[in-house]
Amino acid sequence: MDALFVNLKQSMLNLAGVFLPEWMTLITSMAISMGAIAVLGPVIMMYLTLLERKVVGRMQNRIGPNRVGKFGLLQPLADGVKMLTKEDIIPRNADPVTHLLAPILIVAPALLVFAVIPFGRNMTAVDLNVGLLYFIAVSSTTTIAIFMASWGSRNKFSLLGGMRSVAQMVSYEIPMVLSVVPVILAAQSLSTNTIVEAQSGWMGFNWFVFRPWGFVAFVIFFLCGVAECNRSPFDLPEAESEIVAGFHTEYSGMKFALFYMAEFMNAFTISAMTVTLFLGGWQGPILPSWLWFTLKTFCLIFIMVWFRGTLPRLRVDQLMGLAWKFLLPLTFINIFVAGSWYFASLPVRITSSILILGVSFWIFTQLNKPYVREKRFYDLAD
Amino acid sequence: MFFGSGVLRGLMVTFKNFIASYFRPANQGGLFTVEYPEKRLPEKENFRNFPFLVYDGTPENLRCVACDICAKECPPKCIYIVREFDKEGRPLKRPATFDIDLTVCMNCGICEEACPFDAIYMDHEFEVANANRQEKLLYHRDDLLKSNEYFHKIRPTDAEAIDQRRREAEEKKKAAAQAAASKAAKPPEPPKPGNATPPPSPPKPDQPEQK
Amino acid sequence: MPMLDLLVKFGIYAAMIISIVAAIGVVTLRSLFHAALALAAVLVGIAGIFIALRAEFLAMVQILVYVGAVMTLVIFAVMLTERLGDKTVQQNNQQSWLALIGIVAFVSILARVIMQAPWPIQPQNANFLVDTAMLGKVLLGPFVFPFEVISVVLIAALIGAIVVAKGDRK
Repeated sequence: MDALFVNLKQSMLNLAGVFLPEWMTLITSMAISMGAIAVLGPVIMMYLTLLERKVVGRMQNRIGPNRVGKFGLLQPLADGVKMLTKEDIIPRNADPVTHLLAPILIVAPALLVFAVIPFGRNMTAVDLNVGLLYFIAVSSTTTIAIFMASWGSRNKFSLLGGMRSVAQMVSYEIPMVLSVVPVILAAQSLSTNTIVEAQSGWMGFNWFVFRPWGFVAFVIFFLCGVAECNRSPFDLPEAESEIVAGFHTEYSGMKFALFYMAEFMNAFTISAMTVTLFLGGWQGPILPSWLWFTLKTFCLIFIMVWFRGTLPRLRVDQLMGLAWKFLLPLTFINIFVAGSWYFASLPVRITSSILILGVSFWIFTQLNKPYVREKRFYDLAD
Repeated sequence: MFFGSGVLRGLMVTFKNFIASYFRPANQGGLFTVEYPEKRLPEKENFRNFPFLVYDGTPENLRCVACDICAKECPPKCIYIVREFDKEGRPLKRPATFDIDLTVCMNCGICEEACPFDAIYMDHEFEVANANRQEKLLYHRDDLLKSNEYFHKIRPTDAEAIDQRRREAEEKKKAAAQAAASKAAKPPEPPKPGNATPPPSPPKPDQPEQK
Repeated sequence: MPMLDLLVKFGIYAAMIISIVAAIGVVTLRSLFHAALALAAVLVGIAGIFIALRAEFLAMVQILVYVGAVMTLVIFAVMLTERLGDKTVQQNNQQSWLALIGIVAFVSILARVIMQAPWPIQPQNANFLVDTAMLGKVLLGPFVFPFEVISVVLIAALIGAIVVAKGDRK
């Protein structure tokens, strides 16, 4: 059961090896992995839209889509058909090349990062030795595509959305990258596979999240990840009530669907990466590895949707303040704690690290107290 | 409390809602959606939507006398009435055409209040949407005709009261006619010979057409 | 495996062609925004060449720092000064002679390096791989002083930016 998909691929390769030359089998192996990812990405995106609508609906005491198919399971297909048959509108003053390229370029990195995600034991498509860095680097190029979309459509709302989006992504990238450093320290590798292997033991529960620095890094990484893929409560770039739809205001039909696709695939990959880094990836008892991975990932996606169903949107200054004044200093403290973790005995290091992190958390919250003006009373007002 | 505890409390609220939507009945925080085409809420008796014409017994026996009051009172002027004439060209007390334009009608119910013959009443019909703009939006006489039994079904209290009133008026009229007949052997009232309808139709012997 | 070698070669040449074509685009495109995007393409192409040279770490840092951060800031600046991208604004200035001197100097250094290299490069000469751990050890070992100097320069730039931003607010 554990090696179900690995064996499946192996048998397909054996079948191909019968009538193909040796170098073709290598290409076939790549093609199978690529095909699996190319199918998995859009399918995950489609069903995430359904999941999101269902869960948010339930949180608001609604039923959610249930008309198309059983439990609305065919709703994503209906949406896809609707998107495909919509008119493709390009504004007259738009920059046609940029306007066309932006949705393509935004999907490409979202699909590319699937390559380094360990979906299960021996189920990483490409086991890069810089896998984590690859993930961060490739997902950081999304900014340029958002820029192209916002600049190319010649619309003030698009431009505002693009500006907000880039400011947000540049700010949140820094605590996100820095929160990963403790994990790299502990696993002594950038390869996603090795990071998962480093969390084996304790009956499959030796996850980094169960260490003080790991927990803090997990929370920071996940929050930054939510901000990186522009999801609520950090969805300022596409704030409906303020700037129509942000950078994809001028897009319709399938181009709009591509933006949507990139957003949901990013949500999935961020959750998957958080699972890989902090929640032990595919490690876990009894159940097969890929099932563990899927379960954990969907738990995190549920939390993302939960955020969306609960929290109102942040203000721009609150957003920037959270990244620069709270998360960033906390990650520095966290790196220090993780570095000193390996130089002390067990009880000392646990108490000291919890103490340091707790005190710094308290200090940063005190320093970040919002300035609330004292209520003024006018004695002689009337 | 610590930084972010408000966020956690908010998250707990929505999570409780999420769980309750699966396991609680509607009155305890569960789902209260009624999935409309399959299930529907019971109709309220006082619901009023679109007018219809009442007939007693058979559709030929309608109460409307084509007096045109409702058409005159109608604020958006959506009612169009043409009186029926017999072969000799004498006017009959029934409409040849009675049209209500659905797209113009605003469901105010003034026609019901204005009608002195208890002939037009507001319906419970609300699924009036149509795919065809040319045909189905103009309701003709035969589309509007509905029986008194239907009226009893949808609005029992009102229908009962109106029937009661009509019966009393009928009896009073009969008594008056008998008294008049016994007093002096005079010919009966003038409107009767022109009236083709059977006894229960005109409750009050007045001439609203003169208005 | 000759087919695979061919594919790899194809990839290398594709990366090179992309970077050269995009580099030409950077200096010839009229729109400043398009030039910035072309520059991003150049940087991605160079990252591809790094991957072909088996320096994955460098390639990833190239994408992360240059494409993800530096280009973003460049485009941000372009967007904030949108009038510069207008077709009526002259795209060149009086410094072309200085630029030519710089280019000649740079090309002469490159030419010197190319002339000194023992062509064709033997596989045994190019057999060492610089992995991430080695890079880290070198940066915090022999090259720790330049590393720290660079960070001091960055801090100075940060402080300068803050001072400039504060000055505006008055």
